[in-house]
Amino acid sequence: MPRRGARCRNGTRYTARMLELRAITRAYELGGERAGVFGVSLDLPGRCLAVIAGPSGSGKTTLLQVAGLLDPPDEGEVWLEGQPVSRLPERARCDLRLRRLGFVFQAFNLVPVLSALENVMLPLQLQGLPTPAARARAGAALDRVGLGDRLAHRPGQLSGGQQQRVAIARALAPEPALVLADEPTANLDHAHGGPLMDLMAALARERGTAFLVASHDPAVIARADRVFRLADGRQVETP
Amino acid sequence: MILARLALRNLLRQRRRTALTLMVVVAGFVALSLAGGFMAQTFQGLADGAIRGGLGDLQVLPPGHASGDEGRSLERSLPDGQALAARLRRDPAVEAVLPRIQFMGLLSSGPRSVAFLGTAVDPSREPRFMACLDALEDGAKAPGGAGSRWLSADPAAREVILGTGLARALGASVGSSLTLMSTTRDGALNAVDVEVVGLQDLGLKELNDRSLTVSLATADQLLEAGPARSALSVILRRPGHAAQEAVRLQAQLPGTRVRPWYELATFYRQVKLLYTAIFGFMGLVLFLVVLLATVNTLLMSVMERIREFGVLRALGLKPGQLLSLLQWEGAFLGLLGSSAGLVATLLLRAGLNALHLQMPAPPGTSHGYELDIHFVPLVYLAVALGLQATIQLSALVPGLKAARLRIVEALRHV
Repeated sequence: MPRRGARCRNGTRYTARMLELRAITRAYELGGERAGVFGVSLDLPGRCLAVIAGPSGSGKTTLLQVAGLLDPPDEGEVWLEGQPVSRLPERARCDLRLRRLGFVFQAFNLVPVLSALENVMLPLQLQGLPTPAARARAGAALDRVGLGDRLAHRPGQLSGGQQQRVAIARALAPEPALVLADEPTANLDHAHGGPLMDLMAALARERGTAFLVASHDPAVIARADRVFRLADGRQVETP
Repeated sequence: MILARLALRNLLRQRRRTALTLMVVVAGFVALSLAGGFMAQTFQGLADGAIRGGLGDLQVLPPGHASGDEGRSLERSLPDGQALAARLRRDPAVEAVLPRIQFMGLLSSGPRSVAFLGTAVDPSREPRFMACLDALEDGAKAPGGAGSRWLSADPAAREVILGTGLARALGASVGSSLTLMSTTRDGALNAVDVEVVGLQDLGLKELNDRSLTVSLATADQLLEAGPARSALSVILRRPGHAAQEAVRLQAQLPGTRVRPWYELATFYRQVKLLYTAIFGFMGLVLFLVVLLATVNTLLMSVMERIREFGVLRALGLKPGQLLSLLQWEGAFLGLLGSSAGLVATLLLRAGLNALHLQMPAPPGTSHGYELDIHFVPLVYLAVALGLQATIQLSALVPGLKAARLRIVEALRHV
């Protein structure tokens, strides 16, 4: 755990502890064997881009889902902004996901029937933001990721890199405390993956948002402020 | 509104499937609405037939009157029916009062005698309010009916109009002389010679075989009726207020029984009951078809979007909001289906009515009628609401399925 006032690799100061996972265990049966994560702990300050690294099947996605309140842990506790949150009722966890968390998925997972702008507006409107305000914020978020000229395009009309940038704008527009990204560059070539990670790092710096990224891509790991390594569901190294 | 927009876009995503489902909804709407319009025509025709066939909007009857009393000549009657009729004519809600005497007896042509059921009417008032001239026009086309005319208003004239079947049974035609025989109020046998001035086709074979019509003056001579009348048919200025006026007049006329026409029109009530049952069953089947079609469409749509639902839930959409999303999709399906159904119904109605199709004679009646599907906004509204409720119900099943998805499993779905 870095000291308060310590600096990230990107040179900015860490802010208060954003996410803390305490001895998380989430197990499931896979092909007759027990898989998942077992007793994993980590903490993450604001403004920090951290990577959960490890080979396929090491438990990266499972840990990310637990951290993102998509799946409750069997044991342990998730703390978000100093509050224990993993045992909250579903309604409260929905609210936290909507207001304090953002998600970026490997397969982009944009809503295909909505335009880029509408996709980014979606979480804002679910928060109850009036349409004009949501449109302005979504437009600004798309501008920030370099897609200000693609507002009306549907996902099918965008390249993979552009879709992933829309997904990042969608995750960031509600101004969450923490963005969780599951293999965000896995479906992109190197030419697109690198700039995408640079963009995330820059956004973490600018906005104070923490990023927790699951990836086994060395290029992603190289850009991380912190790296948590998993193997067979267990933590093998902490920074 | 984001959910509504999302729902509409989702429906447009699978246009062919949505179009097929809409076609089922439209077909259901059209079938039920046209059937409703046809029923309205039938009910209207039957109601007109009953009212203009002699019942009027209201009937003032002797106390204790029961169905079947028509054959018991003046045994139960309004003893001073004439004065009662005069009093009713002064009521501002009353357009006309048509007194009637119902009687029975034998009609003889000399070699042959046939039992009859007679009705005595006021020859001067009756044609203005009742369908007697239509029946006469139809009767004139029957064998022996040529030259048929209505009864003379002259009290001294002794004339009769016969049902077409009764005339055939007696071998009588217009111009024939016959003898009416019946019993007076005192029970004595009496007879009057009458001339046949017309034949009438009342639309029902049983009536045509037994009925005849004479003037009140002729009946008075035959039955020695005096001021007594079997019933008074009352025509109201506002025909739609029969129920209220029956209650009001009943309070003013103790010693009588005032009944609205529909309580006495047995055939009308039976047909209405039958049609309502058929319509209800047909509606049930159609609603079931719409229910299954919509459940199928929405379930398929949910199965294709499981991953998308996982993403929406991850973004913070609550299970109840997913349920709402599917309800919105159902709402749009119903709204679009009913709107298109209404347009199709109005076009088909106009087309069918323009064809002037002749419908066959209904059971028990002697002639057909022209198809005229009525415009019935209330039926359209009821059908639209029924379909909407059915579709919303059908959206519950896929909605609950979507709402119960585990997010991590939905995100893994391929």
